[in-house]
Amino acid sequence: MATTSPSNAHPEIDIEQAPTPRPMRVAIIGAGRSGIALLDVLHQISTIEIIGITDKDPSAPGLRRAQELNVTTYAHVTDLIKIPGVDLVMDVTGDAAMLTALQEQLPPEVDLISGQASRLFWTLVQHESTLQTELLHAEKLAGIGSFAAGIAHDMNNPLQLILGLAENLADEGDLDAVHAQALDIIDAVKRTTAICRDLTSYSRRTSLRQDCLVGINGKLDEALKIARYAVALQDIDIRKLYQPDVAVKGNPDELLHVFVNLITNAVQAMEHHGTLTLETSAEADTTQVRVSDTGCGMAPDVQSRIFEPFFTTKPPGKGTGLGLYNIKNVIHRMNGSIGVDSHIGLGTTFTLTFHDESVAGERSTRS
Amino acid sequence: MNEFKSGFFVGGESTNGRVLIVDDEPDIRKVVRMTLQKASYDVLEAENGEKAIEVINSGENRLLLDVIICDIRMPKVNGIEAIAYFRQNYPRVPLIVLTGFPDTDMATSLLRQGVVDYLVKPVEGEKLKASVARAMDQRELAHL
Repeated sequence: MATTSPSNAHPEIDIEQAPTPRPMRVAIIGAGRSGIALLDVLHQISTIEIIGITDKDPSAPGLRRAQELNVTTYAHVTDLIKIPGVDLVMDVTGDAAMLTALQEQLPPEVDLISGQASRLFWTLVQHESTLQTELLHAEKLAGIGSFAAGIAHDMNNPLQLILGLAENLADEGDLDAVHAQALDIIDAVKRTTAICRDLTSYSRRTSLRQDCLVGINGKLDEALKIARYAVALQDIDIRKLYQPDVAVKGNPDELLHVFVNLITNAVQAMEHHGTLTLETSAEADTTQVRVSDTGCGMAPDVQSRIFEPFFTTKPPGKGTGLGLYNIKNVIHRMNGSIGVDSHIGLGTTFTLTFHDESVAGERSTRS
Repeated sequence: MNEFKSGFFVGGESTNGRVLIVDDEPDIRKVVRMTLQKASYDVLEAENGEKAIEVINSGENRLLLDVIICDIRMPKVNGIEAIAYFRQNYPRVPLIVLTGFPDTDMATSLLRQGVVDYLVKPVEGEKLKASVARAMDQRELAHL
């Protein structure tokens, strides 16, 4: 092909003109933990099309995950593998009988990954998950850099009080005044240490706990405390529409990071003036968290790209472009989904939705 | 003295000068007041830029205010906006910035705008008094 010649002065044109390759069409058999992990990884790859997933257990969690990702679910293996144009079948059931049946029934042009190869794939997916955790931590640490102004403000104000009072105490003759000022100093020291405690707790490496029952309302309040180091909240009207006792199962550290990021983005979108609404609700097995702002909003073409890695609308050096990408990954790991509704000039709402029957059960037990 | 709104302190008859401290933290206003009152200054307080503009425009403060000490990070009208207002409307009143966050670029920009001093909390009482005294000297020169 002449246009791929190395002497071509405009190689980028070749890339644009190259025909898009047909995506690899993959069928997944098994919708347990391995199936979910496969779905989560493969659906992010544009050159792979997941044509369907099946499991003999109709309540397998991967089937619900598939529906959230708009992947077709099938009740029977035979229905899935007879779809024309399947390139690859991935069997993650670990069932020897399934392997035998597939080897007998699959047409020769369809590749099959099963057994040890499937386990290798599972290991790679777990490795990917570890890398995502590392990425989350790196992005969190990058974000903490923007806390400097807020930390300095909150540390130096009580330090000014301590210094001023201590200087005054040196020649204060009134014992009652000495007593009152000493108490003020103790209080200021406590405020300063609380800042250090909040930040060291937030900046630590995320624990691997994924199944803690996390109280959402408390976690949102905690996130507000952290977010105020990154963005000035003084002129933001904060509305909390909390339904009592709303909880989800997940990693509390990751969830805190998600909320800090969403709140920080919301306040930045309002340029420090407007209304921030934090809303939680729980009905049956569905829990929702909404973070809304009255800021600048996003155009549809921006909305469609915000969950992509390294996509940012912030100026160079101000954003990593990994915040919403990481948020999406955290929420997906919790079997949840994230949606955005935004209108230019009116504002943006991010909605997190979690389905978990066990949480609903515990909630009703608690209430 | 009827023109002074309640809550503003007006000191003794013979003082070294009248200083307005603008800070959203009551604790900061309290220690600055404590330090400067000991050095015989009248101290007025405002919790943000908006209130500060009210104070400076009220009654005899228009004429008698000598020095403004202003924080940067405050609600409503922040320090940057307030300082721009003071420089435009009261160019003869010297300004001292007292901030919790040292920012070299901002300090340079503010000093270029005519701010007398850029102090970073926590600042020792002696340093604060020396800064106010320097600002008072500048105030005197402005009157000549």
